[in-house]
Amino acid sequence: MKSRVILKVEFPHWIASLIKTENVIGIKAKEAGKFHFGKLRSSGELRLDYDVAVLPPKKYLQPPKEDLLSYNIASFKVTPSADFQPITIIGVHPYDMHGINQMDAVFSDENKDTNYLGRRKNVKIIGVDPVKASAWSFWHDMGTAYVDKGFDLWLTDIGDRYFIEIGTKSGENLLKPAKTESASKIDIERHKKARSGLKNICSPSRRIKTDIKKIPDIFRANHDHGLWEKRAKTCYSCGSCNLVCPTCYCFDVREDMELNLTGGRRVRVWDGCMLEEFARVGSGENFRKERSARFRHRFFRKMVYMKEKIGALACVGCGRCASACLPDIADPVTAINELSGLED
Amino acid sequence: MKPRIAFFDFASCEGDQLQIVNLEERLLELLQHVEVVSFREAMKEHSDNYDIAFIEGSCTRASDEERLKKIRANAKIVVALGSCATIGGINCIKNYRNQTEVRKEVYGDKYELFDTYLARPIEAVIKVDYKVPQCPINKEEFLSVAKALLTGQKPFIPDYPVCVECKMNGNVCVFEKGMTCVGPVTRAGCGSCCVNEGAICWGCRGLIDNPNTDAHKEVLEKYNLTPQEVMNKFKLYFGWSDTNAQKPQS
Amino acid sequence: MESLYLPRPARLNKILPLTATEKLFEVSFDDGKSLGHQPGQFVEVSVFGVGEAPISVSSSPTRSKRSFELAIRLVGNVTSALHNMKEGSRIGIRGPFGTHFPYKELEGRDLLFVAGGIGLVPARSFINYAIDNSKKYGKITILFGSKSPSERLFTNEMSEWREKAEFLETVDKADETWRGNVGVITTLFSKISINARKTACIIVGPPIMYKFVLMECKKKEIPDSNIFMSLERRMKCGVGKCGHCQMDGVYICQKGPVFRYSEIKEIAEAL
Repeated sequence: MKSRVILKVEFPHWIASLIKTENVIGIKAKEAGKFHFGKLRSSGELRLDYDVAVLPPKKYLQPPKEDLLSYNIASFKVTPSADFQPITIIGVHPYDMHGINQMDAVFSDENKDTNYLGRRKNVKIIGVDPVKASAWSFWHDMGTAYVDKGFDLWLTDIGDRYFIEIGTKSGENLLKPAKTESASKIDIERHKKARSGLKNICSPSRRIKTDIKKIPDIFRANHDHGLWEKRAKTCYSCGSCNLVCPTCYCFDVREDMELNLTGGRRVRVWDGCMLEEFARVGSGENFRKERSARFRHRFFRKMVYMKEKIGALACVGCGRCASACLPDIADPVTAINELSGLED
Repeated sequence: MKPRIAFFDFASCEGDQLQIVNLEERLLELLQHVEVVSFREAMKEHSDNYDIAFIEGSCTRASDEERLKKIRANAKIVVALGSCATIGGINCIKNYRNQTEVRKEVYGDKYELFDTYLARPIEAVIKVDYKVPQCPINKEEFLSVAKALLTGQKPFIPDYPVCVECKMNGNVCVFEKGMTCVGPVTRAGCGSCCVNEGAICWGCRGLIDNPNTDAHKEVLEKYNLTPQEVMNKFKLYFGWSDTNAQKPQS
Repeated sequence: MESLYLPRPARLNKILPLTATEKLFEVSFDDGKSLGHQPGQFVEVSVFGVGEAPISVSSSPTRSKRSFELAIRLVGNVTSALHNMKEGSRIGIRGPFGTHFPYKELEGRDLLFVAGGIGLVPARSFINYAIDNSKKYGKITILFGSKSPSERLFTNEMSEWREKAEFLETVDKADETWRGNVGVITTLFSKISINARKTACIIVGPPIMYKFVLMECKKKEIPDSNIFMSLERRMKCGVGKCGHCQMDGVYICQKGPVFRYSEIKEIAEAL
């Protein structure tokens, strides 16, 4: 992979010039010491030292609510939505990049989802290696501390400069207005060092105590473990764990009719398998009625089924589900360790 | 022929009907599909000949029951509007107190002239076909219910907690900001509007059909609320669903 | 690349009431093209302004190339809107989706159909296919159970089924007009004799029915690999994305709705 470096004193100028030419989304501060991806108005807003974003950048590829079709009932004219604005996202962490790569796989299998792929084609990603981790993060043990595809540019903080890996041609084009230099031997050394230090950023208390390759088998063997019932007792079925997850992609489809009762749109909205109505059919039968069955399904989807479907665990270790869960039952770390028989 | 619709109010602040008036141009657009035959908040005329009755407010006295039954008999479809009508609303706070004392406090020495009983949602008195919750109602949701009814559909009112919409909106959880709320057991549909503005969810849309209230009480205590404070959280809007409040008190 | 979610414009040519809650719709595409379905598949039916619903195709591809039939029970907004439509009304169709009954593989075999209630709707697609290709199959037996006489479906086709197959029917609860069998569908098994080695069993019915019918199949010693069933789930998107129809790791809209019993025995959420 080609690489460059940019001095930190030059960095804001580059971002400022990107803001002028691109629709830039960046990682910014939110209240209570939290961070979020949002429209970047100035380079000063960019907070590449963040720990984790409240919502993953998935929201720009599969928005919480998006049009699938618009139609006119009278003329019976139906138009699929196709208006996907180009954006550049700055500050994606490796675990979230893994999440996006997984979504890419899901939406581009034999049934190609034109909404997702239409957006994806128009999204440029400038990733960054984390310098901090949230208290709930455990990506150090999920194989997601590094990522080698999906991004256009990747930044690593190496002291007074950023090391830039160039992933694509359009990434290279993004660098045109930047005052970059070729990476020196020392830069490359520092980059290597920064990379090898990544695994020490998450808290040691967030260790997965088993070999993650064994996780699917461990879960399969524990389909009827008491953990599901026990934890689900205090589950709200609120779907928070689904909705903040970078690899949850389930959706509901609804109609949004205009008040003239002629025009309308068919929209898809985020859904979650933890919600009570998720598996209920028109005739009333609910195929996943019990809280514990839904609770287990989510874990199995992350740890077993998606591995079978796309070859990767659908848990990237961001810790968002654990952090969002008020009754504190969603944490994959304690679940994996408990099922492996390796809890403290 | 356009469906004939009528609006009625019981114990309430009439804020829900105000929301409908506040639809402004869109109200005019709606009027292309319906004929309003009764709407005290917005017009003088009145007729008892209507297809859909929208009712705001809770039932708080025996005489309300007669009026409600008459509306039910006249209407093909009854829609409850707002927290007071759908879940009893904040009027049910009085249900936790001695009813005579409450009357004295409000009506003074003439209290005996003013009849009152436990505040209740109109569903406790008549069959309600559809409910538009919230305090006050959400204009968009009212329109979506109206559109559904005009096209012969069952309206969509979510049966999942506010957390769903709050998460979609990317809010920082109020619990992470040193506050607490009842969003995890409250019916969504508001778009988590209060949390979006930096406040908390007070539960004005009522409980979801199958809330894990025990879990939420545990969580609130874990976040250092006293049992009394936890109770108060649930009393504000969930008074009628709180079984204790449904027992008649003197 | 066309959107997965774009329905093709179609019309309701004919609408026939079947029972108080079911109607039969004959549908054809505006462009005159065939649906090209195979027995057991389903489509997503769109009513703009109301929504989409997954509906099994009830007709056999042998009966018409230009149109297909959907038998629809009134349960929600979409089906209610369809029931209120008139002949000539316009709808959207996506599909056909999902797996089909293995009609090729089963050539040369005896077929035992076990259909409960609305389960007859997808089963009919294969029943009529088999009858129209009767030379390719051995003995055809059809067992049909309804809750009550008024809920019996496709009564006008039963004389053909009686003539060309062994057709037995029962109702859970009789009324004063009913002279036939009374009892749940499994009570019909004692009235038939089958060659277990040669027979493939096709089961479609409400979720509760499968367990009991499978017990009867076991008694008759039909191997699990010769039992096929169509499962109902919430197939919202039909293209393996939305997640609603998933049972364990399997998207029913892709790997189903027709399954071989031996292949889903280990799927905890299947039955």
